[in-house]
Amino acid sequence: MNKVEEKLSHCFALVFPKMDPSQRAIATTENTSGWDSIAQVTLLTLIGEEFAIDIDFEEFEGATSFAALASRINQITSGAS
Amino acid sequence: MRLGEALQIIRQTAGERQRQVHLLCGFTPLHLATFLSAYLRLRSPGDGVTLQTGLYGDLEGNIQRARQTSAEGAIAIIEWSDLDQRLGFRNASGWGTQTLDDIAEQTAEKCRRLESHTTKLAQNMPVVVVAPTLPLPPLTHMPPAQTSAFELRLNAALIEFLQRLCKHSGIKLLNASSLAMMSPLSARHDIKMDLLAGFPYTLAHADALAQLSVSCLFAPNPKKGLITDLDETLWKGILGDVGVEGVSWSLEAKAQAHALYQQVLASLADSGTLLAIASKNDATLVGASLQRPDMLLRPEQIFPVEAGWGVKSDAVGRILKAWSIAADSVVFVDDSPMELAEVAEKYPGIECLQFPSDDPAGVLALLQQLRVRFGKEEIREEDHLRVQSLRAAAQIEMESPIEASADFIGRLRAKVTLESSGSDSPRAFELANKTNQFNLNGMRYTEGEWKSRFRRPGAFLTTLAYEDRFGPLGRIAVVGGYKEVNRCLVDVWVMSCRAFSRHIEFQALRQLFAKSGASMITFLFRPTERNGPLQTFFRHFLSPESMVEGELHLPVAVFEKSCPHLFHEVVEK
Repeated sequence: MNKVEEKLSHCFALVFPKMDPSQRAIATTENTSGWDSIAQVTLLTLIGEEFAIDIDFEEFEGATSFAALASRINQITSGAS
Repeated sequence: MRLGEALQIIRQTAGERQRQVHLLCGFTPLHLATFLSAYLRLRSPGDGVTLQTGLYGDLEGNIQRARQTSAEGAIAIIEWSDLDQRLGFRNASGWGTQTLDDIAEQTAEKCRRLESHTTKLAQNMPVVVVAPTLPLPPLTHMPPAQTSAFELRLNAALIEFLQRLCKHSGIKLLNASSLAMMSPLSARHDIKMDLLAGFPYTLAHADALAQLSVSCLFAPNPKKGLITDLDETLWKGILGDVGVEGVSWSLEAKAQAHALYQQVLASLADSGTLLAIASKNDATLVGASLQRPDMLLRPEQIFPVEAGWGVKSDAVGRILKAWSIAADSVVFVDDSPMELAEVAEKYPGIECLQFPSDDPAGVLALLQQLRVRFGKEEIREEDHLRVQSLRAAAQIEMESPIEASADFIGRLRAKVTLESSGSDSPRAFELANKTNQFNLNGMRYTEGEWKSRFRRPGAFLTTLAYEDRFGPLGRIAVVGGYKEVNRCLVDVWVMSCRAFSRHIEFQALRQLFAKSGASMITFLFRPTERNGPLQTFFRHFLSPESMVEGELHLPVAVFEKSCPHLFHEVVEK
């Protein structure tokens, strides 16, 4: 797990406390109970706080899995659009 | 607090006790609910919190529905869009001149309806009301630099509504100025989140609002006493060097910060806070200085004055003994870090605050701190009697220095007044929540819990007031519980330490047996670190081994066998 994934995993632990840690990396909105629109807003806000980035919610549209979120954060923090 | 921290706090394992609180608002509660839950958890460590939220866009209905529950309190947050949807950003039905007139009329009408529902809710539980925290949208033709008549009309309707609300017991209005100190107006609205998710606040504003709302709903118990130093604290200058006329506390002498401090202390004394002096000084000079006519504190507001050359902590110890209260109920103010450290080492519970003599901003911050520590919602008769009764207690001790003899008590011309109380007796609630030493079980209650205990069948609560030839003590004891067949179950029994040594505790039980007709009283007892005096009292009737947490049974025959002769005149109110 790289640093982005570690931090993201921490965010998942806070928003989905009942999720088995081993399942976080493969989590998607489809296989995660409670990952609804409210949880998505909470998760994205928390990501903004954790990574000190301004979250543009539209930019994260379609980021409905741990992997997609990690990929998008990597792009933002490395300066790519 | 950051959102991540709030989530972490909420996720911590809680005990069995669940505290139910309503968050009543018309927007999506989202992060505000998270922060509120976290601050509520911090307020009652170990307890779980269930935060009930309502329906989006229906503040009025949410308040109505909350009445059907038995929560411990409610926080009702009103934003402009709850008074009229057109005052929000998620509605677009026009801001023309005629529309504005209609908005103003609707707002006044909505305020009246909210008042009706909120006052009914406050009969069941304490309610914190938060007036609109967000700015109005740009809906008038006026340039933003100029206030419009429309805006004034809205504000007038709102202020009238809030004034009517704050007259009702059980309703607390959140202080808008305190909120503004924590959360500036320009940094409150998150328009993006408002439009996206119906949550209108920035994280910082949600955090500040949650913190302040919880403090307002469950205000901490105020501290009981303040001990102050004199030189460079109560006044500017060293008394021993400059003499009685040389110390100062005025604008002209560039010592106004000390005048402000004196002013706050005088105000605290008026509201029942105990004030004492601990100073390394010549006692005669101190006495003369305190008599100066321009002193803003009156000499009778201070008791005792400990002026001498011994160590500070010894003086503090004598003051605590005279007050008969624990160190953790006391704040000590001194300009010297060394003195503060010396006192803190001897009394770890005492809160030591430095008086920043040459720093007006620091003094202002200190004065605000003192208001936080000693703030109380209302001032009662007992608050005015407190210092007087402590002086009387000192007098009693001088006349009967060891254990008050029956003969001495007989000559007190003591009168005990009994009064049945309901859930609306704030004094009984205050005593139950702040008394430590003579306290049956150390239980603390929220207003909601206190109100709900009166709904149980057979519930009773009696307050006892006391006076003797040394003066009145006011209402100093509370005994409460539930009447059952042939016995009384007592779960609340507290008595102020000012009332010790007068056999009032014996009289309380004698009256309870007599009024209830019970042949036995069962106490729901729990030993605490502080309730030694209560345990000592129980040893008159019970063996030390039997005094473990749980039910203690006292038959009337056992009580009467060990009860001393009682001299009080007993009056029922």
